Amino acid sequence: MIGYAPGSEVSRVVPAFISREDEVDRLVWNPLCINNLAKYLLDYRHEPGKVAVVVKGCDSRAIIRLLQDNQISREKVIILGIPCPGLINPDLVAARLDPGAQITVAAVSEQDFSLQTGEGTFTFARDEALLKKCRDCEQHTPVIADFMLGEEIPPNDPGDPFVAVKTLEELPVEERSAYWDKQFSRCLRCYACRNVCPACTCRECVFDQAEPCWVAKANNLSENTAFHLIRAFHVAGRCVDCGECDRVCPVNIPLSLLNRKILKDIKDLFNVPTPGTSLEELPPLGAFTNSDPDEFM
Amino acid sequence: MEAYTISRDNLRTWLDTLARDYTLIAPVREEETVSLFKPVRGFAEINLGYTNSTVSPKGWLFPQTEEMFFFSTSDGQITLADAQTPGPAVLFGLRPCDIKGILALDPVFNGAYQDCYYQKRRQDTILVGLSCTRVERHCFCTSMGGGPTDGEGADLLLTEMDDGYGIEVLTPRGEELVNRYQQYFDADRENRVIPAREELGKKLARQFTRNVDTTGVKEFLDQHFELPYWGELARRCLGCGICTYICPTCHCFDIFDQSPDGESGVRSRCWDSCMFSHFTRMAGGHNPRPTQKERVRNRFLHKLKYHRDRYNLDGCVGCGRCVTRCPVNIDIRQIIADLQEVARHD
Repeated sequence: MIGYAPGSEVSRVVPAFISREDEVDRLVWNPLCINNLAKYLLDYRHEPGKVAVVVKGCDSRAIIRLLQDNQISREKVIILGIPCPGLINPDLVAARLDPGAQITVAAVSEQDFSLQTGEGTFTFARDEALLKKCRDCEQHTPVIADFMLGEEIPPNDPGDPFVAVKTLEELPVEERSAYWDKQFSRCLRCYACRNVCPACTCRECVFDQAEPCWVAKANNLSENTAFHLIRAFHVAGRCVDCGECDRVCPVNIPLSLLNRKILKDIKDLFNVPTPGTSLEELPPLGAFTNSDPDEFM
Repeated sequence: MEAYTISRDNLRTWLDTLARDYTLIAPVREEETVSLFKPVRGFAEINLGYTNSTVSPKGWLFPQTEEMFFFSTSDGQITLADAQTPGPAVLFGLRPCDIKGILALDPVFNGAYQDCYYQKRRQDTILVGLSCTRVERHCFCTSMGGGPTDGEGADLLLTEMDDGYGIEVLTPRGEELVNRYQQYFDADRENRVIPAREELGKKLARQFTRNVDTTGVKEFLDQHFELPYWGELARRCLGCGICTYICPTCHCFDIFDQSPDGESGVRSRCWDSCMFSHFTRMAGGHNPRPTQKERVRNRFLHKLKYHRDRYNLDGCVGCGRCVTRCPVNIDIRQIIADLQEVARHD
């Protein structure tokens, strides 16, 4: 079973892998349970037995994506859905709580996050502390689950998730180009964005191939740009907007902005919800219908 | 060695002058939470208020991508041409842990095997250290034999004081640099600089939130290669290269040729990461580190054992970057503590 356990300090929660009943006590659920655990299902594809995984609303879309791409079979996985009222920025927690403390009770309201440790209760204003990837959350309640651990949270209207994309789209092409050049020039090519991504499931990644060498190992703007654009197009229609790429980038490249541009284009072209929202609705670029727009033919 | 002071105004002028006379590499604030060491044109671009740069400054001496030589073929002959190397440089504003990181790289590139590329850059680069002014929550340099005001390895060490900066000259090369720009410095006649640095060091030493005890860890690892613990860590490791790329002591590289026309091109090297599955993949397809377990184990054995075996130096300087950035909280401080625990039950 894949869930969450306390990390090396109070502000961190880690993916936990348990296989015995007496390990259940290790598991926690609180607003620091950030990682999308669905990605780990790929590690258990060929292992015997079933695997249970804890998913939040955003992560649950990744499960649907993996099922639709036949990366994992439905019989193999037991989905433990947790309706998620939003997550807290761990840096703010780290700034206020003793790093060695343990959170005993966590609560989230419309106004604030409240974390209780042995030293008392600490509250954080929700407006300030909400994690970036939760601000535009579409699905607080998982869209697929075998067991729902908690009361369903009705969807709210986060407003237009494409405001930042539209702002960028309106810039002259030179400015847009300069914007992305600045971002991509500092990419380390550490591949954390790829490795954390539930849409990245290739047996051998194009960027790991030496022959043919599609993108050179050389770290420069040209190769880095090629890496990011190939990756963005490669996950087009399969990116479930979980925000993990953004979160893990060590040099703060706004990858979700890049992926959201494609999400927006796909919504505009095919009038479909975010990939992974429904098991029945196939990914728009992975399915054919006679009503597909074909103006380029 | 001598000590001097420099006013804030003179520091500004000095750095502007240094940028004209040398290639000046200094910390630059790129984004809200990203600072990087980059060549700068003057003081205005520099941010000295950083704690740890996002990526360590090792990239000046060991660039992420470095051209080694150019080649061309004609009439069955191969002609080689040296790649351009940068001239005299000043690496300015290095935090003590990062200087220690350079000292950990020196025997790798400048020991039994002389790496001409690293050697040239190292010889041409003056290291100017900068004492820390605060301790971040992931810092643990004091546990790894360092300290936030240690100047070991630097040519000059700057320490911020109320009315400017104190400058300690630590090597003849540092002395030359100070002599060249003497007009900006005042002799430390009242002997204020060293006491100020020592006082700051004591103050900062109290701010570390977590101390790590490495006693016996290497000796335990000498005796134990196989531990189920590595498998547990590897289950959550994503196999990305963040930890190795931002680390001041990681130094693995790959060599590759680029030749669009097949007749001429460039041979380069670039950083590689032992966290990647193809890092040890052989031409025939065999991989001696077939799963993430072997890769994670290799990384931590390198930090805590192999580097010591080879050079009698820790492969970790306690900068805490990997702790801050690991997406799944693989924390070397916790690993050291866990290994102590495993050793106790052995």
